[in-house]
Amino acid sequence: MRNLQLSLNQTQKVRLQKALEKLESVSSKSNPNSCVTVADNIPIYEDGILKGHGTSDRKGELVATVCGVVERINKLIYVRSLRARYKPETGDIVIGRVIEVAQKRWKLEINFTQDAVLMLSSMNLPDGIQRRRTAVDELNMRSIFTENDLVCAEVRSSQGDGSLQLQARNQKYGKLERGQLLTVDPYLVKRRKQHFHHLEQYGIDLIIGCNGFIWVGEHIDARDKMLVDQVNDSEQPITKSDQNSMDLDEQDETCTLLETRQNICRIANAIRVLSMLGFNITLEVILETVNLSNSLTLDIHEMLGSEFYVLVAESEAERRILSKRKR
Amino acid sequence: MEYVSPEGLRLDGRRPTEMRQLRAEIGAVAKADGSAVFEMGNTKVIAAVYGPREVQNWSQQMSDQALVRCEYSMANFSTGDRMRKPKGDRRSTEISLVIRQTMEACILTHLLPRSQIDIFVQVLQADGGTRSACINAATLALADAGIPMRDLVTSCSSGCLNRTPLLDLNYVEDSAGGPDVTVGILPTLDKVTLLQMDAKLPTDAFEDVMQLAIEGCKAIANYIKEVLQENTKQLECRRGL
Amino acid sequence: MLKSNVFNKKTRNNRIKKEVREVYLRDDIWCGASSCKTCDSSVARLTASTILVVDTNVVLNQIDLLENPAIDDVVVLSVVLDEVKNKNLSVYNRIRALCSNSLRKFYVFSNKFHKDTHVDKMDKESPNDLNDRAIRVATQWYQKHLGDTTRVLLVTNDRENKRKATEEGIFAETIESYVKSLAQPSLLDLLVQPASEDVNMEDVEDLRPSKRKLIYEEHKPMSEITSGLRRGIYHQGKLRVNRYNPFEAYVGSESIGDDIIIYGRTNMNRAFDGDIVAVELLPQDQWHEEKSLSIADEDDEDEDDVHLAPSSADDAPRTTNLVTTDEQNSVPNRPSGRVVGIIKRNWHSYCGSLEPMPMPAGSGSIAHALFVSKDRRIPKIRIQTRQLGNLLDKRIIVAVDSWDRQSRYPFGHYVRVIGEIGDTGTESEMVLIDNDIDARPFSTQILACLPPLPWSVSSKDLANPIRLDLRDLRVFSVDPPGCKDIDDALHCTALPNGNFEVGVHIADVTNFVHPGTPLDDEASKRGTSVYLVERRIDMLPKPLTEDICSLRADVERLAFSVIWEMTPEAEIVSTRYTKSIIKSCAALSYVEAQARMDDSRLMDPLTTDLRNMNTLAKIMRQRRIDRGALTLASAEVKFQIDTETHDPLDIGMYQIQEANQMVEEFMLAANVSVAEQILRHFPLCSLLRRHPSPTKEMLEPLLRTAAAIGLDLDVSSSKALADSLDRAVGDDPYFNKLIRILATRCMTQAVYFCSGDLTLSEFHHYGLAAPLYTHFTSPIRRYADVVVHRLLAASLGIYKLPSVFQDRPQLTSTADNLNYRHRNAQMASRASVELHTLIYFRKRPTDTEARIVKIRANGFIVFVPKFGIEGPVYLTPRGGQKGSGDWYVDEQQQKIVKMDGSLSYSVLQTVQIHMEVVEPQPNRPKLQLALI
Repeated sequence: MRNLQLSLNQTQKVRLQKALEKLESVSSKSNPNSCVTVADNIPIYEDGILKGHGTSDRKGELVATVCGVVERINKLIYVRSLRARYKPETGDIVIGRVIEVAQKRWKLEINFTQDAVLMLSSMNLPDGIQRRRTAVDELNMRSIFTENDLVCAEVRSSQGDGSLQLQARNQKYGKLERGQLLTVDPYLVKRRKQHFHHLEQYGIDLIIGCNGFIWVGEHIDARDKMLVDQVNDSEQPITKSDQNSMDLDEQDETCTLLETRQNICRIANAIRVLSMLGFNITLEVILETVNLSNSLTLDIHEMLGSEFYVLVAESEAERRILSKRKR
Repeated sequence: MEYVSPEGLRLDGRRPTEMRQLRAEIGAVAKADGSAVFEMGNTKVIAAVYGPREVQNWSQQMSDQALVRCEYSMANFSTGDRMRKPKGDRRSTEISLVIRQTMEACILTHLLPRSQIDIFVQVLQADGGTRSACINAATLALADAGIPMRDLVTSCSSGCLNRTPLLDLNYVEDSAGGPDVTVGILPTLDKVTLLQMDAKLPTDAFEDVMQLAIEGCKAIANYIKEVLQENTKQLECRRGL
Repeated sequence: MLKSNVFNKKTRNNRIKKEVREVYLRDDIWCGASSCKTCDSSVARLTASTILVVDTNVVLNQIDLLENPAIDDVVVLSVVLDEVKNKNLSVYNRIRALCSNSLRKFYVFSNKFHKDTHVDKMDKESPNDLNDRAIRVATQWYQKHLGDTTRVLLVTNDRENKRKATEEGIFAETIESYVKSLAQPSLLDLLVQPASEDVNMEDVEDLRPSKRKLIYEEHKPMSEITSGLRRGIYHQGKLRVNRYNPFEAYVGSESIGDDIIIYGRTNMNRAFDGDIVAVELLPQDQWHEEKSLSIADEDDEDEDDVHLAPSSADDAPRTTNLVTTDEQNSVPNRPSGRVVGIIKRNWHSYCGSLEPMPMPAGSGSIAHALFVSKDRRIPKIRIQTRQLGNLLDKRIIVAVDSWDRQSRYPFGHYVRVIGEIGDTGTESEMVLIDNDIDARPFSTQILACLPPLPWSVSSKDLANPIRLDLRDLRVFSVDPPGCKDIDDALHCTALPNGNFEVGVHIADVTNFVHPGTPLDDEASKRGTSVYLVERRIDMLPKPLTEDICSLRADVERLAFSVIWEMTPEAEIVSTRYTKSIIKSCAALSYVEAQARMDDSRLMDPLTTDLRNMNTLAKIMRQRRIDRGALTLASAEVKFQIDTETHDPLDIGMYQIQEANQMVEEFMLAANVSVAEQILRHFPLCSLLRRHPSPTKEMLEPLLRTAAAIGLDLDVSSSKALADSLDRAVGDDPYFNKLIRILATRCMTQAVYFCSGDLTLSEFHHYGLAAPLYTHFTSPIRRYADVVVHRLLAASLGIYKLPSVFQDRPQLTSTADNLNYRHRNAQMASRASVELHTLIYFRKRPTDTEARIVKIRANGFIVFVPKFGIEGPVYLTPRGGQKGSGDWYVDEQQQKIVKMDGSLSYSVLQTVQIHMEVVEPQPNRPKLQLALI
């Protein structure tokens, strides 16, 4: 069984156990026995079904090839695997790390079976002008993203050979700085309309990548402005962003405020706790967790103590029970 | 040496057809895509799976299937005498190969073209049957990593000492010099994917010994399934939604 | 329930290694009491209301008592078994046999693995204490488990253990008090008296004269011995006591590469023959010369004070002071030493009788007696008995228990009576017991394995496709007269192409003896039939031996045949192996066969066959001799036995005829062919027979003797030796044979072995000069042949290979057992001959001619060709004063010369001797040879 690698004392163990049992009782009512493991038979109730992911045919029987939850959508039957690498869908917002700068493209590690490709041509240039990419642009690729940079982008398409194309044709995409990257299991992130969040009260940007990469960083107004500016076709943002890149060189000038940094850490730790507990990661839950830690006036480092894990588990159980009742 | 007493008990108190205590734990390595610890009595093995991921060595990339690699090692502290175990000695190379081939046979590699799957197994405590334990741990780790598989592979060893077929030999029995049959099966497909034997055994006795090992494999498969099922259920219900 | 057992272990290179072993504790180990409701009673053995739990020391020391049927309902704990196994394997085997004997109520309880009786090692607890505690815990569990209806009694001789047990509320008793409570006084004799260190005998007072004087030196502790061995101060080896002089022993030490000689009981320091001992070398000036090895007469034992005196001068044989000339004194070449410790005891039971003594006043009370073993190498053994009057005129068996430093003789206890002294049956039985031969009748289980009688070849056998019908062949057998277990037959047919078809047909014993049956187990245990002078102890039950398997004349029998096609030059063209059905047309004796061949008037087909075979055999024999096969000789004698009294009527040398050699030749050929066949198919698990080449050292005495008489022997190879033996023709007809007998003595024993254990070059049979050899031709009387039959059948694909062959250690141990049994059977035959010689000469003191074969310091050893007897002749007056030895030995010439030069005897010289049976010591009659 999967064990939390925590040192719990006896009461904490019991409490955690109880909370987890509650969670189980909440969910087991919703999907009874739809969990399968490798090579398990999947019962078919109708004819003419479509085999989806994670299934295969064995002598006329449908069997699972991965562990997960059987999902039936009309005629389609597939197994939604839980712990697995990211499965991209077009339009997903992902965060990746530059692995390699190659011919007209960056290769990004996005927790997929292969490295994703971000073509220079799928990228808005810093000057914001739509034009053919010249050889000079190619030479300057490293000034845009270099190895180990974190980049936020969108899935453009996935090729027949399994390779994945990204694009970043929007000012909201691009390099991520001044913050923390967290990696969680992709199954904990649900696709939503909004993956970019500006948490005003903390002055923080939160990007929940569909691939399980989560960015918690200092809020950068410019970008939002740029978004606006781009529409307005103004000159200002460019100078601003120029300045931004200049600031990089003179870091002490624009160093992130201590409070912001603490907030980043607090949110990051909240995400860590949730991911460790295997709870679904959404903005609401994150904020709730952060609030919980604040209300208990816990220090940031205390959030990773075992007591907080138990508390989060308990409150999550409460929350789900409540929301279920509401429904 | 008497390995089975006339009362029908082995040196550690088991009966000939009994297996040692099994224990499995999924998710022991946080950074890995899939990982597991598998214990058979005092034999303890940890397995970590990385991938499917970009193929590291471009020339090894295959356009129609995934590349499976495996590395087996023994921790220095795994045996009674703390000896420095050289990496890549003949034995570990051989076991690496065996595990790789066994796992490759069950992974649906054609679904993951141009990618690579790395399996690392390390023996933390060695008390006989490490080969089998490694395969069982690797199966769990692969399933944890969500890699599509034809079937679970489970493995168990058996031997024949004092003319009695014995299931799941421990180190003392293993080093008795008798035959040692390691079998790996696909339990639901009912196919044998691994069969190794040291020393000699007559054909008819071999049947019995192998049958015993297969029974052992099936028992392990049941246990592994249970563990995986429980694990999936837990993940799903914790995740909520 | 799972428990881990952690302990530290020292590895071979002295590193400490931590070992962790799992222990699975179970709840399905039954108590074995039939009264128990909760346990599975199908395995229950214990029925009585008192159940004994025995301690390790009881099993170890009182095994003879436990084997007595009066003791029953015993729980043997696995912890006890383990401890016994570690300490004494033979006792372990005996207690195991008891536990598996369905007639006895001994139950093994695996307390180690039972969840309630498993004990963990406590801090600073010694293994001994741990075991004791485990025993107490188990006893307590039994009492609780069985409740009040049954009394559970812990029998222990460990005072500490008993005290603790009583404290814990366990019924505990010593074995003495328990046996006393049984009120069977004869049982008390079986009790082993504890050694003085383990004083538990509050109730048995020490009747020995209080000799507080220490006679022997203390044995060094084991740790000291091990370190001494490593540093090379001590030498380890097996102690072998001289057959002719019990005060002299040798220790073959690998570290020295030579035998270390040990003189006197003091230096032997309580070691027995066969013990593995640690020896310390004496300073060089105390070494003795080789020739001073003398033959001591056994009556010397009466004055063994002389020998036991520590001063070395006295200790040496009495001739020393006279023969030490300066030159010889300077080169004492053989190291002598003394025993400092005994690494492994070789104590077992010994046959013999009590030294006569006056009856003590009250019969039935405890008497102390001295036991005199038949084997001269064994010292007298002190025993206690309550039935002295009963035992005095009996041959009895006694086991040794201990030997403390204060006591001149070891302590032992009575085991059982064999029979009246002097009774032929008793004496024969002693021969059997001495050689560990099981002469009991076959059990009903074994007899149940036999096919129903009368047996005849069935139609099923005839229809069997693997069986070739050879009934129309002219098959015949040639054996010693009166032979009832005919296991081989022959045929020889001339083929149209001028070649001969020769067949050797061996009784198909494996058709009746199937692996895994009680019959087979028993046969494999016995290993061989034993031929004594007056009786035969069969390996297989009589119906098989004499009827079903015996290839008698004019009956159809099943056989396993080897059939060759041979050219007239006796070259083998082809070989066939098959199971067959034959019908022998004649069972000839050697004499009859010889007579037929010699009688030129006879021209019947059978005689022609015989002659053809003889021609072939002669060629084969010559070829074998050319290859270097040795023609050795032994002094086999033959008795004519009175059918009524079984007393020997006449002794004579065994006559060998051409017909013997003819049959022998074909048997050898069949064995070689079969050996090749089975080795080809089963290179790792064939049972073969090899005869190692003798080493230089072994041939040394032969060469020395030969040199002394001016004979030059070349021993570089078997061929060279065979040739030089052929050349060694002396002036009298017996000379050559004598040399051959001497050569035979130097040879190693041929042994069975498993082909997987050795390399091909070691398979060689020296005596036969054959690269491969096995035994195939006598399955009725040798188990090795049965094994080989099975191998051959498997190689032909007729039968499956039995599982023994898949387990190499098992096969090796089978081979070892066969060797052991074979050797014992030979020894028993020899002892039986000796016994009958004695009986024969008892009434007939004889004068005869003898040959000197070995020179000793105070006499020589002679060989009497006519009777095949060997024995010492003393030149110095026996029992006489020391220093009367006015003889000295000339090493070079192998001569013993009287000091004044008036008389000398050299080796191989013919002497006239007088033979007569004397009884110098009561109950130990012996044949005395004296010079006339």
